[in-house]
Amino acid sequence: MDLLSIGRITGTLSTWWWLLLSLAFFLYIATDGTDLGAGIFALFSRDEEERGAIMASMAGMWDGNESWLVVAGGVLFGAFPLVYGSAFNYLMIPLAFALWGIISRAVAFEFHVHAKKSKSFWGWAFAVGSLFPTFFAGVALGAVLQGFPMKSGLAMQSALAAHGINVHDYTTPIMHFSGGVFAFLTPFSIWTGVGAVIAASLAGGLYLCARFIPGDPIHERARSWTNVVSLLALAAIVITLIWSYAIFPWASDKWTGSDWWVWLIWFVIVLFFAFKSSTNHAARRDFSAMMWGIGVVALLWTAMWATIFPYIVPNTWTIAQAANPADSIAVFTLFMTGFFPIMIMYNWYQIWVFRGRFSKKMAYGAH
Amino acid sequence: MFLHARFTTNHIFTEYCNVGIYFAGLWCSKNFLIHKIYIGVEVMVIENSLPILLSRLDFAWITSMHILWTPMTIGMSWLLFIMEVVWLRTGDERWYKINRFVEKIFLINFGAGVATGVTMEMAFGILYGPFSQAVGPFFGNILGFETITAFMYEAGFIGLMVFGWGKIGKGMHLFATFNVALASSLSAMWILVANSWMQTPDGIFLKDGLFQVKNWWHAIFNNNFQWGFPHMWVACVELALFALVGLSGFFILKNRNADLFTKLLKPTLLALIIVTPVQIYIGDSIGRVVAQTQPTSLAAMEGHYHTYLPDGKVNTGWHLIAIPNAKNDGNVFAITIPYVLSILETHTLNGKVPGMDSFPANDRPDVWVPFYSFRVMVAIGFFLFFIAIWGNWLRLRGKLNASELRKRPWFLRALVFSAFLPYLAIWCGWWTREVGRQPWVVNGLMRTYQGASHMPVAAEIFWWIGYIIFELTVWAGSWYFFTRVIKKGVDGIPDSSTLFEHDHTDDADIKAGGGHVTPTFASKPMLRSDR
Repeated sequence: MDLLSIGRITGTLSTWWWLLLSLAFFLYIATDGTDLGAGIFALFSRDEEERGAIMASMAGMWDGNESWLVVAGGVLFGAFPLVYGSAFNYLMIPLAFALWGIISRAVAFEFHVHAKKSKSFWGWAFAVGSLFPTFFAGVALGAVLQGFPMKSGLAMQSALAAHGINVHDYTTPIMHFSGGVFAFLTPFSIWTGVGAVIAASLAGGLYLCARFIPGDPIHERARSWTNVVSLLALAAIVITLIWSYAIFPWASDKWTGSDWWVWLIWFVIVLFFAFKSSTNHAARRDFSAMMWGIGVVALLWTAMWATIFPYIVPNTWTIAQAANPADSIAVFTLFMTGFFPIMIMYNWYQIWVFRGRFSKKMAYGAH
Repeated sequence: MFLHARFTTNHIFTEYCNVGIYFAGLWCSKNFLIHKIYIGVEVMVIENSLPILLSRLDFAWITSMHILWTPMTIGMSWLLFIMEVVWLRTGDERWYKINRFVEKIFLINFGAGVATGVTMEMAFGILYGPFSQAVGPFFGNILGFETITAFMYEAGFIGLMVFGWGKIGKGMHLFATFNVALASSLSAMWILVANSWMQTPDGIFLKDGLFQVKNWWHAIFNNNFQWGFPHMWVACVELALFALVGLSGFFILKNRNADLFTKLLKPTLLALIIVTPVQIYIGDSIGRVVAQTQPTSLAAMEGHYHTYLPDGKVNTGWHLIAIPNAKNDGNVFAITIPYVLSILETHTLNGKVPGMDSFPANDRPDVWVPFYSFRVMVAIGFFLFFIAIWGNWLRLRGKLNASELRKRPWFLRALVFSAFLPYLAIWCGWWTREVGRQPWVVNGLMRTYQGASHMPVAAEIFWWIGYIIFELTVWAGSWYFFTRVIKKGVDGIPDSSTLFEHDHTDDADIKAGGGHVTPTFASKPMLRSDR
């Protein structure tokens, strides 16, 4: 076999970008997950001062964190445009709601500072704007795991036909999304939405504990919040695994195949990380608790992508089918791979600069 | 370069025929221009049917509302960088104050830009999925470059730039400001590469339904990009300069910190006497590129329907005002100046300029939007040049000081008015560009209706109404808070000497995870009114 055949190189590079896509999504979940979770926590804040303090605690970082979502979108468009153009079409409604949440949240950060009379409005816009992207991103993830219908030809055929216009002479070999607007909506996708809210709530709780001074009202409330939500999160993981096992043959085949023991060991490691997170939390080593918690997310995320392989969208797009032509993927690799370590470095530097604990009063004043 | 474009397009056209897709190449010979689009009514452009019109409106709305914010970020970041350099070199506190004041407006603007920008990144796939798939090998790569090199880069440094005062060293802060400026300009460059390529799609071939890249150099530095990017970038700088001019005018008019803002006004007006005519020159250059590469777009911009007059002579008339008829094949009314069109486009008295009747009815864009938005943009360009001349003329006569300026309220009002005009000009320019390209999404190669996503009309309306609500909220909110910042003014901004004075009372044994940490966030100036 020719080791340097174009097909082989394309396959390798596409898989590489599939990994980087996974990394970008993971970094988004790991960094912005805590921000979003803190926003969900702020839904239950008793006063505007507390919401303002929570917002101030992430003021210098949230946009950098959120940018990982944009990077993931950019990688998807740059390396797998066939998936980008069909999956986003499929996810129109959940993405619209998630984006509206993101918009509300982004402007709330800027406006809450300047507002006087409308402070509570922007505080709520921040909190609800944190809940929506989390829930609908979860819905979108569940929907993608279920796959979607596709066909080739003119995508707008039916909408045009409904308006008396029939185009007969357009053909293309490209497969585009062909299902209904609500194709994404299933009990499973709603559940993954709920699951995402629970997971983010836990991350947000751990973050707030690490961010605020022990004894501060926010720290103490976040502590009891985390204790409750961690149990919910454990239950959510188990339910999601069982549900996925039941409805996704591509998952159950892998998990119970000849390599079943790898998955079992992996799951034990997940439980160990969760245990460490919880003991560190109990011992008030809040930063460690948060990092162990992020470790759980990393392990589960890796397991999910390993289960999906060689698909990007299960039963819909494989890496090979979805990859860009060799030339494009090579150029993308050449110019963009090097940016990943750089981006991680300055995202880290930014978080480092804005480290340090807050108290409610202090943060609100600084805000 | 242009000859090359001709060749490639013909080549692409053949490829299309091979895979059985029907496309009309603008530069292909007329024999190929057969349109088999079956419509019940007479001739109608499918792009103007409700489902496609709505998908266009959906995209046009979010794009128009996004470009309200980005030019300020791109242009103003360089001006902030310059002010910071001047402050650091001269130690003149006034530049620091102006910098910190303008930065507040910059930050609100940036937040609105991010809020509306994340949508843009996803909207190609949501609203124009089949387009995104087909152009993915080039266009997708470029958008990927944009998000990775520019968007993330910018977001990374903006936090440091805005919240890092007093927390990072002065040199590091200047570096952060510089990177914000560079990143946002890079971002603009990639976006203009992508959009210009849609106007003059060069360097690609069609295979398996995908526009694959044959020559990256030709695709990136396509004809339209060579002038399109400078035009947009200079527009951003011009907009930012006029924002400073407008702010200065307002403060001097209200007699608040009048001396400080007169100091700002001088170099700004001086920069504008260079920038405004340069922009007019660049605008003329991009106009000639459009004339050569997108003759239908040019015909629409000029409301030029008939190549020849009824007596067989070349139609050289340029319309000052025109009212196109409903069938889009002539003007109901027009004020026409003979010879001007030929002079503008061919630099000869009687040169032939192809009118709309040189092209099949299906290939003609709407005339209303390109015709009038083009004229408004040009008028604004010249008006802003006039303002720059006016201001510098006052300066030559030694009248550019606070007391003399306050005797000329109409000049100051004109400055404030001018701050709004670049926004309108940029809108109009983009509307001209995008509507003029219709019915193509990729000029001459892919029709807009072929690129639209699979979605019912109800979903399109849902999207549009949602974004009308959210984008208007962002817009109204931003304007409200701009006025709040302006009302507060520069007086509350503490001196730069307070930047590194940390409040050491509350950092006793407080540690974040792991490191040795002091809660520098709550340093004194931050606690006061400067947020």
